[in-house]
Amino acid sequence: MTVTSLKSNADQLVSVSVMGQIASPGFPGLPAEPYRLDSDGRPFLLPTYGGIVYNVSVGDSAYGWLADTVHPGVSISLRDENGNRGLNLFACVGNTAVVMSGDAKGARGVVTGKSGRFSEHVIVHFSKADREKMAIGDRIVIRSKGVGMALADHPGVKLKSCSPELIDGLEVTTAPNGRLAVPVVAVVPPHLVGAGSGLTSEGGSIHIQSQDREALREAGLDQLRLGDIVALADTDSSWNHGYLRGGVGIGVIGQGDSPRAGYGPGVTLLMTSATSGLEPVVTPGVNLTSIFDLAT
Amino acid sequence: MSLRTNAAHLVEMAVCGNISQPSLRYPGYTLDQDGVGAVLPGMSGTVYNARVGDPAFGWAGDHVEPGTSIANPDAAAEFALHYLTCMGNSAWVTSGLAKGARGVVTGEHARILVDFDDATNDLLCPGDTIQINALGRGLALLDYPQVELKKMSPALLEAMQIEPVDRERIRVPVTMALPPRIMGSGAELNSEYVDQDLMSGDRALMAELGIDQMRLGDIVVIPDADHRYGRGFRKGAATIALCIHGDSVMTGHGPGILTLMTCPVPCIEWVIDPNANLAHYFNLGKAA
Repeated sequence: MTVTSLKSNADQLVSVSVMGQIASPGFPGLPAEPYRLDSDGRPFLLPTYGGIVYNVSVGDSAYGWLADTVHPGVSISLRDENGNRGLNLFACVGNTAVVMSGDAKGARGVVTGKSGRFSEHVIVHFSKADREKMAIGDRIVIRSKGVGMALADHPGVKLKSCSPELIDGLEVTTAPNGRLAVPVVAVVPPHLVGAGSGLTSEGGSIHIQSQDREALREAGLDQLRLGDIVALADTDSSWNHGYLRGGVGIGVIGQGDSPRAGYGPGVTLLMTSATSGLEPVVTPGVNLTSIFDLAT
Repeated sequence: MSLRTNAAHLVEMAVCGNISQPSLRYPGYTLDQDGVGAVLPGMSGTVYNARVGDPAFGWAGDHVEPGTSIANPDAAAEFALHYLTCMGNSAWVTSGLAKGARGVVTGEHARILVDFDDATNDLLCPGDTIQINALGRGLALLDYPQVELKKMSPALLEAMQIEPVDRERIRVPVTMALPPRIMGSGAELNSEYVDQDLMSGDRALMAELGIDQMRLGDIVVIPDADHRYGRGFRKGAATIALCIHGDSVMTGHGPGILTLMTCPVPCIEWVIDPNANLAHYFNLGKAA
């Protein structure tokens, strides 16, 4: 593999503020049926997306938590639907977040993921000390930058929710075959790509299916950590996420495992190529914690 | 030989909806897999020229809903319409020029899909009320309790000519098998609600496997798919499903596949039968 510095249009990108407020967890109302069903039909009642999660951070295991698709750190959203879409689309993984109100005012964090249909949060890492000072409703500004970014020598690769800092930190290179080589911890086979298929890839999440634990082990996906970089095989996420032989997606594990059928760890898409422009290179330990030196 | 069921104990109940008006969100474009936008008809209203039994692929439309699509404006009544209506239930027009005409439920998408004959379609107007004799919730195979039925009417179950293989297994006629890796949009929903699209974006694969020959109303099998509580991959499971709507240009979408039977362990076998189609079973469309 030849290491080359990648030419991008990063110096032309517009950096614009998008604001969200720390989201409260939510549950359906009366008649007070708070249960979801696991893949075998057993009802469960567990923490799920939203809020300030004090004890789960990027770098921790994506599995084993008594939760449904837990968001590490802090989840933010905006009640206004169109404004929330602006937040969800423009925030990029690696962007800086700044707390603008409340006792944690001035604290800085990093965007680590997004959630999809039914929650549409942006997930932000803050130190545990900062989380202690935060309150639900606090305003957090994302200094968004990354939408529109392209790599001059890789026109077949689309970047999504991907900051220039992430491209730098990921140490992507141009392989001898001309493809963009990206280090990943694992490759998700297409039969384990689940919820999120057919939905937009500009925000939201696409989930690894974890119901069949043996299939998960066979694919080397049972030890994933939150913040791990992974590849999606035979998946084209140019517009929506969908099956296409030869397509490759690159994403980050943004959310934890789920007991529900079709669900599992959530992936925030970062790059996609419909035409073999990407070459995942399996490399242990590729995680946002080391890329951004995140304090846990 | 027919299978023993609890059909005699099912409750038959009326639910209703109104013929829906096609609607678009400004500026009306649907993006295809190359990112090119097009304005395409297919959903809602009465589709006069696509009926169950016609091809699922090839229409200059998107998610074509054959026949007539109905919805209920009251949210709770709408969910009752979705959760209680079963495939093969009988429907009748209760208002408008076609009042009294009878049809058959052929699908559940964001709306419930009902097939009426061409003469009735000529008289239908968006807003007309359609009532369904909902029957099938709770239906079970007495000798095969591990097989779960969803939105299966007793009439459809009878028509499908399912055979017992042994004490554990049954055999179902289907037109084709779909690889689980192409099952897409709808994975995020519970399997009690609407359908899951097969992902048709790999056009060469569709042709290689003959999936592009699918017809609206086809009964198909998805091996290794467990649809009991959601739609997920599980080795050894099998799901029998119904093609309810046409192909789509959108990535991750394609013909709509609605769950009829599912089993988490190997107990559903299948045999390829080109006649395994709702139009054939109920004498609809060109089969009439």
